Amino acid sequence: MDEIKWGLIWPLLALQVLLAVIGLVSLGKAEQTRGPKWLWVIILIFGNLLGSVAYFTVGRKDN
Amino acid sequence: MRNIWTLYHKEMLESLRSYKLIWVPVVFIILGIMQPLTTYYMPEILKASGNVPPGMLEGYEMPGSAVVMAQALGQYGTIGMLILVLGVMNSLAGERSSGTIEMLLAKPVAPAAIVSAKWAAQLTVLVMALGLGAAGAAYYTEQLMGPVSWSNLAAAAGLYGLWLLCAVSLTLLFSAWLRGPAAAFLGLLAAAAMSLAHSLLPSLLDWMPAALTAISAEMMTEGDGMAWGPIFSAVVLIVICVASASLFIHRKQLPE
Repeated sequence: MDEIKWGLIWPLLALQVLLAVIGLVSLGKAEQTRGPKWLWVIILIFGNLLGSVAYFTVGRKDN
Repeated sequence: MRNIWTLYHKEMLESLRSYKLIWVPVVFIILGIMQPLTTYYMPEILKASGNVPPGMLEGYEMPGSAVVMAQALGQYGTIGMLILVLGVMNSLAGERSSGTIEMLLAKPVAPAAIVSAKWAAQLTVLVMALGLGAAGAAYYTEQLMGPVSWSNLAAAAGLYGLWLLCAVSLTLLFSAWLRGPAAAFLGLLAAAAMSLAHSLLPSLLDWMPAALTAISAEMMTEGDGMAWGPIFSAVVLIVICVASASLFIHRKQLPE
């Protein structure tokens, strides 16, 4: 193990950020969510992978 | 046939609007590339977490690239399956409760066309997510561990995808009949029951679709081990699911 390979780590971080951004955009457009919106904002920003998955699977109301 | 295409188009447009076509593949890519990364940095992660007994890390041996790839595909069997099943649970249940199905059936649209279009849309998302995820995992594994056999990977991912498709098809069937969350629960339960039955009696039940995960791992690590029984039974199961879902919609057995 030499140094940390940032070339391989930053795409992972970028994808996490992308996921959170898509979630936030979707949240902004949504009329209704299960549970308060501000809570989903926190979950999307700090919840990493599982937070975003939770929002997309159970947070949204299908219309 | 033209109806199916039109309905499929509508389904795909909807999954694009709901960002499903983007977020599911992105999650699969993250899951895929995290496996080789965490395996590679495991000693560092353990060290950073503290409380590592001295000498424990000396025995750490980096697993081979094929093993890491098999593990990466295994990720799709747990979290990946959960995501796919939760994504399909409302596909028929939602349209039943909103009354879209009745409107569609009032027109000369066959129930089988509605169900097939939905199924094909789910298949598209699954193929995209699994393909991109496996490719991402393979790239990372090549960078960190060593060369990956891409032909073995294609076969292994195909077998794994067929197993995931079984779970998705089961959930679609339950979705034609129950409410969304109940459909997801039963879909996951059925898949888990099949896996459990297969792991308890592997020699007796090696023809079951659940055997696909084992064959897939063997395909990845050994390069062979192809068995047609599970593939055949998986295809039969999927056809039964789509056909019965169409039948349920046709009879409009609406519980609500």
